[in-house]
Amino acid sequence: MAKVYNWQLGREMDYPYEAVRPERQFAMVLDTNKCIACQTCTVACKTTWTPGRGQEYMFWNNVETKPYGYYPLGWDVRILEKLGVQEMDGPVYRGKTLFDAAPSGEVILGYLPDDLDYAHPNIGEDDSTGLMPQGAHLTLPHMQWMFYLPRICNHCTYPACLAACPRQSIYKRREDGIVLLDQSRCRGYRECVKGCPYKKVYFNAQTRVSEKCIGCYPAVEGGRQTQCTITCIGKIRLQGFLHPPDRPDPDNPIDYLVFVKRIALPLYPQFGLEPNTYYIPPVHVPPAYLTQMFGWGVEQAIATYRRAHEDRKLLGALTLFGATPEICHYFRVDGDWVYGYDSKQAEIVRVPLREPTVVREAYDARYQTFRTNVT
Amino acid sequence: MRRLLVVLVLAPLLAVLALLGGGGGADAQAPLIAARVPGRGPIDDPLGPHWRRAVPVRVAMLPQTVALPHHPQPAVKALTVRAVHNGGWIAFLIEWKDPTLSDRIVLDNFGDQVAVQLPIDTRGAPPSPMMGNPGGRVNIMQWRAAFQRDLDQGPPSVTDLYPNAWADVYPDEVLSATDARPYAGALGVENPISRGRLSPVLDQMAEGWGSMTVKPDQHALGRGVWRDGVWRVVITRPMISDDANAPRLAPGDRTVVAFAVWEGGHREVGPRKAWSPWIPLRIAP
Repeated sequence: MAKVYNWQLGREMDYPYEAVRPERQFAMVLDTNKCIACQTCTVACKTTWTPGRGQEYMFWNNVETKPYGYYPLGWDVRILEKLGVQEMDGPVYRGKTLFDAAPSGEVILGYLPDDLDYAHPNIGEDDSTGLMPQGAHLTLPHMQWMFYLPRICNHCTYPACLAACPRQSIYKRREDGIVLLDQSRCRGYRECVKGCPYKKVYFNAQTRVSEKCIGCYPAVEGGRQTQCTITCIGKIRLQGFLHPPDRPDPDNPIDYLVFVKRIALPLYPQFGLEPNTYYIPPVHVPPAYLTQMFGWGVEQAIATYRRAHEDRKLLGALTLFGATPEICHYFRVDGDWVYGYDSKQAEIVRVPLREPTVVREAYDARYQTFRTNVT
Repeated sequence: MRRLLVVLVLAPLLAVLALLGGGGGADAQAPLIAARVPGRGPIDDPLGPHWRRAVPVRVAMLPQTVALPHHPQPAVKALTVRAVHNGGWIAFLIEWKDPTLSDRIVLDNFGDQVAVQLPIDTRGAPPSPMMGNPGGRVNIMQWRAAFQRDLDQGPPSVTDLYPNAWADVYPDEVLSATDARPYAGALGVENPISRGRLSPVLDQMAEGWGSMTVKPDQHALGRGVWRDGVWRVVITRPMISDDANAPRLAPGDRTVVAFAVWEGGHREVGPRKAWSPWIPLRIAP
C-alpha cells in the first residue's frame, strides 16, 4: 500500500497505487435543491450510452429519492453498515476508510449486490421520512423530509474499482482524470462491482464484462459538458474541471464552488475514494443525515448557499449552471452579468445575475381580452 | 487366461514405473504421464475409450493466497487428471466433483472453469507456477462451462437469461451493423470472453499476475460434460504449432504442468481460485 493524500479527509491514507493526481480533474457540481427527479439526465445518458442488449437495467446516471431510494437496492446503507460507526467531525477524518477496513486478503471492504438489487431503479421514489401530523407546518430543517440525489460515476481520485481490478482493466486518464474500463481487457471478474461503494460499475450479462460511466469523454474532449449536464431542465449541474487542491483557481467555477466557497461537498467522503462529483446539500434536510452523506462541512455550506444572493461572485458561479453546453474554464462577474470563458479565455456565455421581470398588463386592449401572468 | 490378464494389467503399470524413474517418496506428487494412443487430430471426447490407457493422477489443489484478492477456502480440493497424446495432439482429462452446474453468467452467477498451464519453454527451468513471471512465459488453456453451454445450446439471449426482459428497441434492430457496433460494448471490440467462440477453451499466455492475454492464434480445443455431480473436461492442443508463444512438445519429453479450477457455485472467478504447483509431465515415447 502507498501513502496518498486525500484532501477531503485532510490526511494521508493507504491506497494500492501511488498517487497520480491529474493536472485537471473531471468534476461536476450538482445543486440538490434544484433537482426535481424528472430523470431527463437519466434518459439522456441511457439513450446515448446504454440502449444495447444486456444494458436494460443499467443506468450510468440515475436519480434516487433519499433517504429511501437506492439504485441498486440499499447500496449506501449496506456499505455504511459494513464500515460501522466512524468518528467524523473534521477537519481531519480519524475514522477508517474502506481501504483501511479491507478484510485480510482483500483490497477493499465491499460487497457484490444481488442481480435483483438492480430490478427497481426508482424504488422509494418520492417517499418521505414520515407523515405530517394534522396541523403541522414546515420549519427548517423539515421534520419530515426527502430529497433527490442524482448520481453518476464519481471519477474518483482514488478509485476503488481501479484498485480492486486484478488485471488493471480500469485506468484513470492523466489528461482529465476520467476513469475508464477497458472493454477489451476486462474479463468479467466483477471485483470492480464489488469494490465500488457507489455501485457505479455494472455487469453486462450479454457481453459478460463490466461497464461504467465514461464521463462523456468524446464530448469533454471537444470542450462540451456531459449529456446529463446539458440536458438538465432544472439547470442543477455544472460540469468542468477541478484543479489540484493546493492550486485552486478562484476564477474557475468548479474550483470556486468546491475549494473557495466550500459550498459543494463530496458524496460519502469517509469511504476514502476522493469522489469528484460535488453536491450542494439540500437546505431542508437535518444536518445529521447530511453530515453522514457529505461530510462535516454541511452546515457551513448550507449557510453560504442561503446567503448566495448577497455574494455576487457566488451568485455568478451558480448562474452558470445550465447556461451553456460548453465547459466553462473561467468566469467573471461584471456589473449585473456573469461571463463564462473556455480554456482559451474566449467568451462562451453571458448571463444576467437576475432575470428581467416582465409584468404584462392583465387587459390586452389590442385583442380586447384578459391575459394571465403565470410566472 | 488369468495369467494373460495379469500380464496385460501389469505391462502398462511396469511401463509407468519405468517412466517414473524410481524417484519420489510416498508424499511426492505422482507425475502425470501422457500415454500414447492411436489416431490423429484433436482428442476432445471426455468419455472416449482412450482414457482407459492413461493412469489417473490425483492433484491436490491449493488456495490462492498470494495475489490479492485471496481465496483461502476454495471449493475444489483435488482434481483427478489423465493425459494422453497421439503424436500430434496432447490432451488432458480433468475430473472433479461439483454438485452445482454453473454455466449461466449474470451478475451474481459465476461459471465453472478449469485451466491447464504449461511452460512455453519446456526445456529450461520452469517459470513460476503462479501464471509465470516476467521472462518466464506460460501457456494457459482455460475451459469455461459458459462457453460449453454456448456451443451446446447456443449463446443465451437476454430473454434466455431474464425471461421477463423487455425493451422497446435495440440499436442493432434499427441501425446498420457498423453503426450499432458502438452500442455492443465488449462484443463490439471482440472481447474474447464475451461470446461467439468456436472452442470452449481459451488459448492464453501469461508472464505473471494480471498479465493473462488471449493469443491471436487459438489452437486449444476441448469439451466438458457435467453428469451426476462430476465435471469431466478435456483440454487438448497441438504438440507443435507455428505459434512462438506455445509449448513445443514431442514424444519422450519431460516437462511440467499445473492446473487451476474455479467452482462457479462458490463464486470463484479470477484470482478467487484453487491452483496446483507444477507437477512433472512425461510424454510417453
